[in-house]
Amino acid sequence: MKTTLHLKLNGRDAALEVAPHARLLDVLRDVAGLTGAKEGCGEGECGACTVLVDGRAVNSCLFPALEAEGRSVVTIEGLAGAQGGLSSLQQAFVQEGGAQCGFCTPGMVMSAAALLSANRDPSDDEIRDALVGNLCRCTGYAQIVASIRAAAGKAGAP
Amino acid sequence: MGYDYIRPASLEQALSLAAQGESALIAGGTDLLVALHKKKRPAPGRLISIRSLPELAGIRDEGARLRIGAAVPLADLLAHPAQARLPALAKALGVMGSRQIRNVATLGGTLCNASPGADAAPPLLALGAGVELAGPAGRRTLDLAEFFRGPGRTALQPGEIMTAVLVPWPGAGTQSHFLRRSRVAMDIATVSLAACFGLTNNRLSGVRLAAGAVAPVPLRLRATETFLEGKALTDETLAEAAKLARADVAPISDLRGTAWYRRELVGVFLARALRAGNGGKP
Ligand SMILES: Cc1cc2nc3c(=O)[nH]c(=O)nc-3n(C[C@H](O)[C@H](O)[C@H](O)COP(=O)(O)OP(=O)(O)OC[C@H]3O[C@@H](n4cnc5c(N)ncnc54)[C@H](O)[C@@H]3O)c2cc1C
Ligand code: FES
Ligand code: FES
Repeated sequence: MKTTLHLKLNGRDAALEVAPHARLLDVLRDVAGLTGAKEGCGEGECGACTVLVDGRAVNSCLFPALEAEGRSVVTIEGLAGAQGGLSSLQQAFVQEGGAQCGFCTPGMVMSAAALLSANRDPSDDEIRDALVGNLCRCTGYAQIVASIRAAAGKAGAP
Repeated sequence: MGYDYIRPASLEQALSLAAQGESALIAGGTDLLVALHKKKRPAPGRLISIRSLPELAGIRDEGARLRIGAAVPLADLLAHPAQARLPALAKALGVMGSRQIRNVATLGGTLCNASPGADAAPPLLALGAGVELAGPAGRRTLDLAEFFRGPGRTALQPGEIMTAVLVPWPGAGTQSHFLRRSRVAMDIATVSLAACFGLTNNRLSGVRLAAGAVAPVPLRLRATETFLEGKALTDETLAEAAKLARADVAPISDLRGTAWYRRELVGVFLARALRAGNGGKP
């Protein structure tokens, strides 16, 4: 038995048919076709599935899809700039080498986007603190912190 | 898998659904959904979501105490001005999980989950908090110290829902401290300890101590409290108190630490918390 979920997905009204127990992560990937958010652990540890719900970073692997009813959900696909290009935050990740294999990157960028929308000019410690729930096995984090620092304060970020 | 997911609109509806059995309550889901994912508990017939119940929302100053809705996310509590008056609780909430977790995990959820190492428990115990429960037989309030019954076990009766956590405002001059040891960020505590006390002319008063991850439940260190009441804060007092605190707890050895290490740490944390009262580093 499926239920219709109504939400604002990356700025557009959407109605999706979902199983009542579905996770938001699966609905985004399999029903909405937005495969940016990744499943690493499925247990809230790695942050690869991070998306914004009403502007707040959440693990979509632990978020029941039906709890998104009437809410605004933004995924990495929704961050792209007005002309469809990369946002300044995404560009900073490219320029500073903030991504290697890229598996953690959509989650990292979404956590960074939540941080920058609450705090335009975070310190390195604040950046690291905002990324406690995002694991990266490639970069060693230094380039990720540098990417976010580079994007901070820039017009249009995140 | 394949359970139903129901979002009742009121506490009354949630209570009548919960009374029908075959179901589990879900708040933020950060404990429950992980347990289901790891198959640590059988999938229930349905989940009853209490996340958006208006009766479980909101943080209110009731004069003598702060009333925190059981479904308030930790991040909301941390952003509330009340946290300035409850520094030990704020410190504990601030280290719980990640931003993503704190944005959805609730205060009621962490207490009802009843993990021996739940970070929020020691500060709430030391603050003398109570919990408000609603069930088929009506409402009742309980001292938090009576709520925990064992790992994952609480005083909740079938069909009961925690509606609020009640925190008496600490009296003027009361200090509160929280200390915690974990291996890495996002790991649960190896040992945690909270202390509330007054200190005038180097004399201790109103001492309330609680520790986590050192017994089947987060617990008050009653014998240590009784010993410390009215004592002067001296090295001898601290040494004796640390000894008593080590006897007040019953830790196990696991991958995070041995029972011996946990006992040692309880004594060390206690001494640090009390010294912090005199401007020492906690
Ligand atoms: C990656 C990760 C890191 C974590 N880190 C920490 C940490 O550092 N420190 C720490 O202490 N915890 C940590 N936790 C544990 C968890 O986040 C907390 O215990 C959280 O506060 C649980 O709240 P919840 O609303 O998500 O509970 P849920 O999962 O919704 O519920 C937990 C249990 O309580 C019951 N329940 C919930 N609300 C009520 C209610 N109002 N009335 C009756 N029963 C209820 C549910 O039926 C369920 O059995 C972590 C968890 C994860 C996944
Ligand atoms: S997949 Fe969600 S936190 Fe790892
Ligand atoms: S770039 Fe590979 S995990 Fe982060």
